[in-house]
Amino acid sequence: MAMTSSQSVSALSRAGSAKSVSVSQWLQHNQHKLVLPGLFIVALSIFAFSAPSFFSIDNQLNVSRQSVYLMLVALAQLIVLVAGGIDLSVGTIVALSSISASLTMSGVYQNGEGSAEWSIAMGTMVAVAVGGLVGLLNGVGTALLRIPSFMMTLGMSSVVFGVALYLSGGVPVYGLPPEFGQVFGYGYFLGIPSPVLVALLAIAAVYVLLEWTRFGRHLYAIGGNPRAATLSGVRTERATILAFVLSGVLSALSGVLLTARLGTGEASIGTTFPLESIAACVIAGAALTGGVGRTLTVVAGTFLIVMVQNGMNLMQIGAYAQTMVVGALLIFAMAFSKK
Amino acid sequence: MASLPRFDDEKQPRNGPGDGARPGSQPVLSMRDLGKRYGAHWALRNISLDLAPGEVHVLFGENGAGKSTLISMLAGANQATEGSISIGGFKGEFRSVSEARMHGVRAVFQEFSLVPNLSVADNIMLGDEAIGPWGLLNKTAVRREARQLIERLGFDLDAQALVADLPRGKQQMVEICKAVRAVPKVLILDEPTASLSTHDTEALFGLLRSIKAEGTAIVYITHRMEEIGVLGDLITVLRDGEMIATVPANTEESRLIELMSGRKLADLYPQPRTEVGGLRLELEQFSTEDGSVCDVDLQVREGEILGIAGLVGCGKSELGQACFGLLRRASGQLRLNGRPISFKHPADAISAGVWYSPPDRKRDGLALIRPALENMLVSALEFGKIQGMFLKPRAEAEATSRQSSKVEFPVGRIKENVSNFSGGNQQKVMLAKSLGQEIDVYLFDEPTVGVDVGARQSIYRYLHELAASGAAIVLISSDLPELLGMTNRIAVMRAGRVVAQFERNEFDQHKILEQFFE
Repeated sequence: MAMTSSQSVSALSRAGSAKSVSVSQWLQHNQHKLVLPGLFIVALSIFAFSAPSFFSIDNQLNVSRQSVYLMLVALAQLIVLVAGGIDLSVGTIVALSSISASLTMSGVYQNGEGSAEWSIAMGTMVAVAVGGLVGLLNGVGTALLRIPSFMMTLGMSSVVFGVALYLSGGVPVYGLPPEFGQVFGYGYFLGIPSPVLVALLAIAAVYVLLEWTRFGRHLYAIGGNPRAATLSGVRTERATILAFVLSGVLSALSGVLLTARLGTGEASIGTTFPLESIAACVIAGAALTGGVGRTLTVVAGTFLIVMVQNGMNLMQIGAYAQTMVVGALLIFAMAFSKK
Repeated sequence: MASLPRFDDEKQPRNGPGDGARPGSQPVLSMRDLGKRYGAHWALRNISLDLAPGEVHVLFGENGAGKSTLISMLAGANQATEGSISIGGFKGEFRSVSEARMHGVRAVFQEFSLVPNLSVADNIMLGDEAIGPWGLLNKTAVRREARQLIERLGFDLDAQALVADLPRGKQQMVEICKAVRAVPKVLILDEPTASLSTHDTEALFGLLRSIKAEGTAIVYITHRMEEIGVLGDLITVLRDGEMIATVPANTEESRLIELMSGRKLADLYPQPRTEVGGLRLELEQFSTEDGSVCDVDLQVREGEILGIAGLVGCGKSELGQACFGLLRRASGQLRLNGRPISFKHPADAISAGVWYSPPDRKRDGLALIRPALENMLVSALEFGKIQGMFLKPRAEAEATSRQSSKVEFPVGRIKENVSNFSGGNQQKVMLAKSLGQEIDVYLFDEPTVGVDVGARQSIYRYLHELAASGAAIVLISSDLPELLGMTNRIAVMRAGRVVAQFERNEFDQHKILEQFFE
């Protein structure tokens, strides 16, 4: 059929509008990818005006040091989210690990049975083992007893908090070896604050685990479609349990470092971690339905949250307002996340 | 869009739909120059069709040809970029499903609109429940009306059953009940028989004939040739978003396939090999704990394709699952290559060399939000040549390109999420999963459900090659022509038992069908 001039003109105009359509469609389809960079830009521009000291090297070092504790918990949360679960017990695992680490350390140290090093090693091991045990229970409940992870970990968080209060009697645990705080709270190693070093190692480990190992691939497959994973021969129960154990271990590690920083064992720490860790993951694009989420973007998401808190401190905004902002951030991120 | 030239009033569409076929009968619905663009890509262009009252108009085309786009625009689920729809005095486009419904257009899609936690009756009457005194729900009336409707339609459905508990075929029937409760002017059906049993298919056809007699125009999408002959009046063939032709329903199958694919096709089914080897899989007096399979004796040999036929619910799917360790064995023996086996988990089965491919790819087969590559390699990582704790990107690329070429999947799209693909390509990804490791016995459960003829042919070639390379294949299917074409032998199941077996030289559609029923 011969092309009349009116047709060719309309074809041209069609091609032109096609391009503009595709840009707006790209935005529509990829808005979830813009959440994190967008929030960074907004936060940084606000701080540039209202809190210029935010950008000092000292303060940046501060931000990275402050972000360590949430970072470990956010990584823990990510592992479980990728596998299609959610871990609401991360906060009280932090608390229980603080109590169990400090009770062990002060016990060993004060009895004069061991040196400071020995007591620190013992305390850390006990705390990590306790975290892993709670994770194991979470995993068994979820994978074998088929309790939804939301309920399993919500219930478990209450149980764990109760244990922490019971063990500590509700009061801070003193008597830690001073070296503990000196080395793991405020110390430096190779010119890097030692907690930051631990976080870097954890980031590297989780990154490799999720993106470069068979186990990681299996977690994404389970989160993507658990039935398909089972039928493909993946031992989904085993992998799910292991994901929760890792989450417990990482959270416990966070609790140990936080104890070193505070100098005492506290049952009251970690209460904001469940929400903040989920926010860090969701802002970074992890799906609550499982199967989606990347380690390095979650690291960025954690930074964002800690940065916002730090900036608000510099702007002398009170703790109550900060709590509101973190919740609002989570809701905002959910509104633009991929559903 | 306003600058578009409009000649439609002078010019009849090139392959005018049934022009002159029904002189004097006003079309129920007319489409003029419908087009839909996604980004720079036109999914559909220049569609002009008339639907006459009482006409069954079959849309035919490969996946991605634009059938789904077209019906979603007709049903109001999707809006056209250009063109218009006229029905009654209305001309324009439907902005929503409820607007389409207001004008008497109802659609039954493959994705159901049912609430799983409500009963069949509640679902059928949803949005139009009988209200009693005090504005409360009149539950007895709801149930009664639903039951009457089911009875009138002749479906085998329990009005009080929970939708979540029903198999897919029954859910499909509930969906159809919903659509025809008030007789629509235009009824759109997207592969309604894909999961129906023979009995329910008959009931559906009877129903369609009766609403056809009342003047409803039916738009019908199917990949099954025999249905076109039984039910259709006209066939419109779509290819790459364009109308290729509108032809009468008695057009030869080979001609239709040519129109659809734009090329001549060789025979759909490769001939099965006649020489078969030693025993691969053996079932002896095999029964499952849940009773869905009883006392089954079956054997499959190297290079053989064994077909399992039967109605929905006859236990043919459960038989496949039982061989894969998904259902517990109560008694009897399962032997693989002569050795007794017992699987507790699919992982045991795969490592022993047995593969099962489930019938519902979206529910059981694929992680849709993950890339094709990851889906293809899930089991290869555990059991195949690329196993190991750490991933090996280069070996993965090699493995996926090999697996993709075997099932004719476009390897260039291997990093895309599976949700982006058409049904045919999704199915190919699922089938390619089996190629990552050494497998002796493949159990394929409905491997061509909802797949166009082009993709079907690739799948058949793939099954044939697997058999030729020495594997034993069990093909579980509700598509009897497929079994007749592909297999060496057909076992018919009824109520969990194998009631008859036919060798290829005894194949006779009638005799086999007789065995489906008591």
